Amino acid sequence: MASGYLLNRGALTLGIHCQRVCRDISLSQVREKKRWMKAYTYLMAKKLKLEGPPPPTPRSQQPHWDYHAEIQAFTHRLHENFSLELLKTVFTNPCYLQMEQEKRKGLGVESETAALVLKDNMQLSKKGSAFAESFLIDWCRASFPSLPAIGVESIVGHLTSPAVITYVAKNLGIEDLTMSAEFPVPDDVLCSTFMAVIGALQESSGAERTGLFLRDFLVTQLIGKDLFDMWTVVNPMGLLVEELTKRKIPLPEPRLIRSAGASTVLPLYFVGLYSDKKLLAQGPGETLAAAEEEAARVALRKLYGYTENRRPFDFSPQQQQQQQPFIQSASN
Amino acid sequence: MTSRGTPSRFLRSVLQNGVGRYVCQLKRISIVFSKKAQSSLGARDFIEEGVVDYANKNPGTVVYVSPQPCRVPKIVAEYLNGNVREETITSKTSQQISELLTKLTNQSGLEIIHIRKPFHTDSPSIQGLWHPFTNRPLSIGPIRPQKPDSQ
Repeated sequence: MASGYLLNRGALTLGIHCQRVCRDISLSQVREKKRWMKAYTYLMAKKLKLEGPPPPTPRSQQPHWDYHAEIQAFTHRLHENFSLELLKTVFTNPCYLQMEQEKRKGLGVESETAALVLKDNMQLSKKGSAFAESFLIDWCRASFPSLPAIGVESIVGHLTSPAVITYVAKNLGIEDLTMSAEFPVPDDVLCSTFMAVIGALQESSGAERTGLFLRDFLVTQLIGKDLFDMWTVVNPMGLLVEELTKRKIPLPEPRLIRSAGASTVLPLYFVGLYSDKKLLAQGPGETLAAAEEEAARVALRKLYGYTENRRPFDFSPQQQQQQQPFIQSASN
Repeated sequence: MTSRGTPSRFLRSVLQNGVGRYVCQLKRISIVFSKKAQSSLGARDFIEEGVVDYANKNPGTVVYVSPQPCRVPKIVAEYLNGNVREETITSKTSQQISELLTKLTNQSGLEIIHIRKPFHTDSPSIQGLWHPFTNRPLSIGPIRPQKPDSQ
């Protein structure tokens, strides 16, 4: 019947002629069958098919929005105390301020009569990102004392990468509160807003609470991740040889331990790395080279203490006594 | 391989909620009801009695109360991960509405669809997953069935 036209199933089931009209009540409305309704619905469906769905609008432009209430709820939700004036600057981005200035110029409003009394969040954002990096580096060094500096850098780089930060920011409701020129909010704007939140938290509540906040929301993104997902090591065997020479352990010798299906399309080889005839690590692979590389990676994971069965990170709430954020580890 | 007709997902939490601190995942609810209709009677009673207590108990959720001429009163719940759930409260009593609100508050925003496994772990094995080569002695030469240790 409705060949080629996408129609709301509700319209078909309720009967198109009895659809409710829009909410502003006027005297010309009637309850009877509306003969124009079918044509109108078909036209709107055709328009939707031609143009695609309407572009997304920011939450602040949809019904039911109270900015002050939303900001208060944001602070309570995260169990933190922010000062409200700081928060007003946190979510104001420079692109938004520019857009407002241009709008005012376009409307011909003089800059003295209606001055824009908003500050942007660049300073807070820089402060926040510096603090976040230093905290994460210290946390990494404390949790993995034998991980070298490049490894620590890669882990921290992954945690402060735009992908992870935007994911965390979107799931904390920061995207709704951000005031920016474009919608959907671009990644870098969202990142700088998140860092501004960190900076504001640092100014309002101090370094310890900000550290706990970062631990609860950024460090938890490490759960379930493997070391070499975040740190691309091109030559794991070379790195392993370096590490072992530093620790004065004899160099590893690879030996084939197991093999299965060598002449099939899916061979499996287990290569073990022995140093001084004791097994360091073994790893599987489809070819001998792949298995040796995997064995080197397993050995590196064991050396750095980043195995899957390591002791889980401590996320208990009262960790302030044990946490010393500025440990300088002596090894490496 | 055929799959279930309905969508399904794995058990998970939004942003590892609860590992660090617990964040209530409900960010705002809008109660849309009518001032005069019969079906919104429970909603009106709830607004008179229970909504202020609810808002005080959940300071992290913004409560919007919107009386509009509408036939079907509803509660629109928005969660932190972006999902929006609409529940109709036609002819529900005030008590039922507050129970519904408690249920919505305690949910994470993930879809209510079939959960494949009622458990999830990021460290499935401490001693290492078993594979056919575990605990098999190394051998030179052709592999034969293991002789049971005679003791």
